[in-house]
Amino acid sequence: MTRTRFCATAIALAFSAVATAQDAPSDGYDVIYAAAMPAPEATRAVLTEIDKTADRVIAVGDYGVIVTRERGADEWQQADVPSSVFLTSIDFADDTNGWAVGHHGVILHTTDGGHTWHRQLDGFQYIELQISYFESLVADIEESLADDELDDDLRSELEFQLDDALFRLDNATFAKEEGPTKPFLDVHVATNGTIWVTGAYGALLQSSDAGKTWQVRDAAVENPDGYHLNAIVSDNDTLFMVGEAGLLFRSSDNGVNWDTLESPYYGSLFGAHVDQQQRLWVFGLRGNIFVSEDKGDNFTQLSLSDAVNINAAIDAPNDGLYFAGNAGVVAYLNAAGELIEQTHASGAVLTDLIVDEDGSLTLVGQRGVLTMPSSVLSEKE
Amino acid sequence: MSDVKTTTTDKSVFLERLIFNTRPVWLVIFALLTVFLAWHASQVRPEASLAKMIPTNHPFIQNYFEYQDDLASLGNVVRIAVETTDETIFTADFQEQLQKITDEVFFIPGVDRSGLKSLWTPNVRWSEVTEEGFVGGPVIPDNWDASQEALDKLRENVLRSGEVGNLVANNFKSALIYVPLNEINPDTGEPLDYQAFSEQLEERIRDKYQSENVKIHITGFAKIIGDLIEGAIQVGMFFLIAIVITLVMLFAYSRCWRSSFAVLACSIIAVVWQLGIIKLIGSGINPYSMLVPFLVFAIGVSHGVQIINAMVHNRVDGHDKLMSSRLAFRSLYIAGLTALISDAIGFTTLMVIDIAVIQELAIAASIGVAVVVLTNLGLLPIVMSYIGVSERGRKYTAKIQNERHPILTFFERFSEPKWAYSALIVGVIGLSWGLVQGQQMKIGDLDAGAPELRPDSRYNLDNQFIVDNYSSSTDIFVVMAATEPSQCIAYDNLEIMDRFSWHMENTPGVQDVKSVVYVAKMGGFGLNEGNLKWFSLNRNQYVLNANTGRTPPGLINPDCSMAPIIVYLNDHKAETLKTVVAAVEEFNREYQQEGLDLLMASGNSGIEAATNSVIESAQYKMLMWVYGVVIVLVFITFRSLRTVACIVLPLMLTTIMSQGLMAMLGIGVKVATLPVIALGVGIGVDYGIYIYAKMKEGLERGMHLNECYKYALDNTGKAVGFTGLTLAIGVATWIFSPIKFQADMGILLTFMFIWNMLGALILIPALARLFARFGKRIH
Repeated sequence: MTRTRFCATAIALAFSAVATAQDAPSDGYDVIYAAAMPAPEATRAVLTEIDKTADRVIAVGDYGVIVTRERGADEWQQADVPSSVFLTSIDFADDTNGWAVGHHGVILHTTDGGHTWHRQLDGFQYIELQISYFESLVADIEESLADDELDDDLRSELEFQLDDALFRLDNATFAKEEGPTKPFLDVHVATNGTIWVTGAYGALLQSSDAGKTWQVRDAAVENPDGYHLNAIVSDNDTLFMVGEAGLLFRSSDNGVNWDTLESPYYGSLFGAHVDQQQRLWVFGLRGNIFVSEDKGDNFTQLSLSDAVNINAAIDAPNDGLYFAGNAGVVAYLNAAGELIEQTHASGAVLTDLIVDEDGSLTLVGQRGVLTMPSSVLSEKE
Repeated sequence: MSDVKTTTTDKSVFLERLIFNTRPVWLVIFALLTVFLAWHASQVRPEASLAKMIPTNHPFIQNYFEYQDDLASLGNVVRIAVETTDETIFTADFQEQLQKITDEVFFIPGVDRSGLKSLWTPNVRWSEVTEEGFVGGPVIPDNWDASQEALDKLRENVLRSGEVGNLVANNFKSALIYVPLNEINPDTGEPLDYQAFSEQLEERIRDKYQSENVKIHITGFAKIIGDLIEGAIQVGMFFLIAIVITLVMLFAYSRCWRSSFAVLACSIIAVVWQLGIIKLIGSGINPYSMLVPFLVFAIGVSHGVQIINAMVHNRVDGHDKLMSSRLAFRSLYIAGLTALISDAIGFTTLMVIDIAVIQELAIAASIGVAVVVLTNLGLLPIVMSYIGVSERGRKYTAKIQNERHPILTFFERFSEPKWAYSALIVGVIGLSWGLVQGQQMKIGDLDAGAPELRPDSRYNLDNQFIVDNYSSSTDIFVVMAATEPSQCIAYDNLEIMDRFSWHMENTPGVQDVKSVVYVAKMGGFGLNEGNLKWFSLNRNQYVLNANTGRTPPGLINPDCSMAPIIVYLNDHKAETLKTVVAAVEEFNREYQQEGLDLLMASGNSGIEAATNSVIESAQYKMLMWVYGVVIVLVFITFRSLRTVACIVLPLMLTTIMSQGLMAMLGIGVKVATLPVIALGVGIGVDYGIYIYAKMKEGLERGMHLNECYKYALDNTGKAVGFTGLTLAIGVATWIFSPIKFQADMGILLTFMFIWNMLGALILIPALARLFARFGKRIH
């Protein structure tokens, strides 16, 4: 069963603000504005996500590290990044335009396929966006409440929303003092070119103009407890979002309206993936993997014998899938639905992976860039 | 040694009358003093105090001292690896042994019981994230019954505990017991007795539990100190060997047991006095200053030989025992005093090095030389005036007086032009070799593990085992992040410390960096359900406080004003340390933050970096001092620059060649080897002085150069040769010391003593020949 959230006002509220990149404040070191240090050991930093374009592979992680490896090459190069925050996610719209997001409200953009990056948003600007957003939200709800002819149910619902919005406005105002504390956790470029960013404590942003302006969309989903929104993915026409405590949302209208789906799991979901057959995979804590063949209405469960966090899933050759998780777990699911599990020798937390041209895996995580020959899994097959 | 002025005065001098007119009184005084000082000497114990081996005034060390108490828990740890010869540690037998050993360690005095960690201590836990939060427990299953089921459960818990590489070897064939020590006994307030602790480890752990199936490996600072002291005690044995060899040589030289024993006894008395005085002035004996008794003994013997030599000649000439002794004293006291004073001055130049063990060595050596003046110039003639020289000795001397020794004949040739110039060419070749090879000479210690001990010592093998099987480096450089009280985990400070950590991780030679920042980031990761995307610092101080809640003791100090940043290095080579120090300085220049200072340095490598920098600058300072003093001394004695050149150039050749030797043998310039050059030059100059003095005497008598040298050789050649050999033997036994740096000292000193002797015998006449010709051309 699904339920469309009451969000008539939210559309109107899709608040826009032009975020201009500004230079570092003069008082002391701030990780947001300090350019990433050129690091010979960049590939040994904690890395979180890895993505592929036609020309190269790009990975992001700690200390503002973005590393690239040209197609067919072995060497990694460090990209020019104007921030040193912990980057959590990367996604490309095409072979040249990509976005990376991270802690302290930082959003980075590249127009040259990942070699050089610039800041499109930082946490201080993000706080301003949030304040304006919640102020407008409060004003709007108050205006609706001023209507004397509201029925009681709707009134109490609006009153609840008002409390929530006021609470969030307070938080955002307080954050002005403290600085940005909410990390962004995922970035996704949808098929229509909209860029979506999810984050901690229910943060949701979108941009329809390649990141020139960002709209806060926190209230677009039903998330009264402010749970983390861990990941967002899409197939041809549908957006899916997963989060803490089994949160699962779906939008069929490019993110204007979001439905809350009944979750197959009450624990945290860390990621989602739509495979070649348009099946939706969601996964999270303790080896829990779920698959839906009907866009998230119904799920079947798959469990890994290693009860560790599953962090990533990607398409594998022969209609299979690869999963990667904590404690070095890498699993291969073949087309027949059989799971083959392996542990990377490092035992490190693995957060993302890609399949290279020769079929071997490049993995990222706690120990930076790692590799695994394809034979390790295919021989078992 | 022979004398500067040989013209024996016929009248007795004041000192002679003072000594010989009241001989019994002096004997009683010497006897009483010897008993008194022997009693004190018997209480001297070898000690190895870290504080004395480091340059205490260096800013790094000052910083370290400021936070020494806070850092104590960090470094003072012993690791005991229990290895099985079976396939894996997950067997009932092995676990039983491990449990027993853990219990045994728990009860060894000095162990910080609350910090003790092993698979069998309850503080080692596994944990995992579930939908409800963390779950976990001790890695040893609650209902342990040593069954296969329990062992499987244990293996699973170990894998989930994150202890692989820490408490369990990467290959699962050994397990580690992590033993933090209390520097101060909390019950008695007494400082930890490292030697006693080390012995307990040997007796109660290694001896008791090592078997065919179980191997024990122990590392840690306490163990190094224990092994050092143990090794130092073994060196005491070498002293006995040196005594025996010297006795044989003395007899071969004099063919008279009586006088041989007299010389030996007086030299041993000198050592006893020296040790007793050291104890009285509150100084101790450390593995470095242990060299001093050997030197004092050798110097004592070499001067004693001169007395015996003169005495026996006098006897042969027909004087009675007392008169022979008086004449020997009369002819030698000025020479002896001059030589000893030059030795002492050579030693005191070591005081310019700001490292306590070297200064202690300098003081001990100076005291020793002063004592030799009393025992071998004072006591020995008195004793000899009673016992005399045996008939056999007299006959032997009388016989060889008229023979020319083939070796002396060989050396004589070096005043002839052909031989002289050949020798000089060889000298120049040696010099070039030394200069080229010396370029490779390195500062600091070059070997892995504990550089104090030999690379194949048990300690270093144990250390290698732990380095190979566990994810830990033993070369640790600690930077202290100092803040205002309670600000050590403030966001702004942690953020700079984080960038600093990354800066250091990208410095060549650095393996890993750990600090409270890492704990905070791991906390973010752990408290967010093990989601790595939270592995970062947060601006919210409450979040940071929560994330650092599990900070192990030692990573922040009690009032949160200092957090050590531990930099693990590949090795402790001087270049690595220099790179690391430069990287820290570079960071400090670039990132200045109010209220946060990144201070160097602690950890074994931090201290070594400080020591290296002091040694590097002291190296040249000391050479300048020692050569300055020697040049002035020689100039005062001979009033001729040409003579200075003749005497000092061979010394310089030896110095440069010994630097080449150090490079070749992989011996670095370090606390142990730095004093060697000063000792070598200080003692080595004597040979030159004696030989040149005789040659000058010959020149004054109008002899040709060849004749002069022949004259010099006849009078002092044998003595110089004997002295060189005695000194060399005294220190050569050290080559076999279990302590690496003592062996290094032994090799270098032996080389310098022998080479300086050869340099004096060969190059002085050769140089004199060269200058003589050069001089003629000018006139």
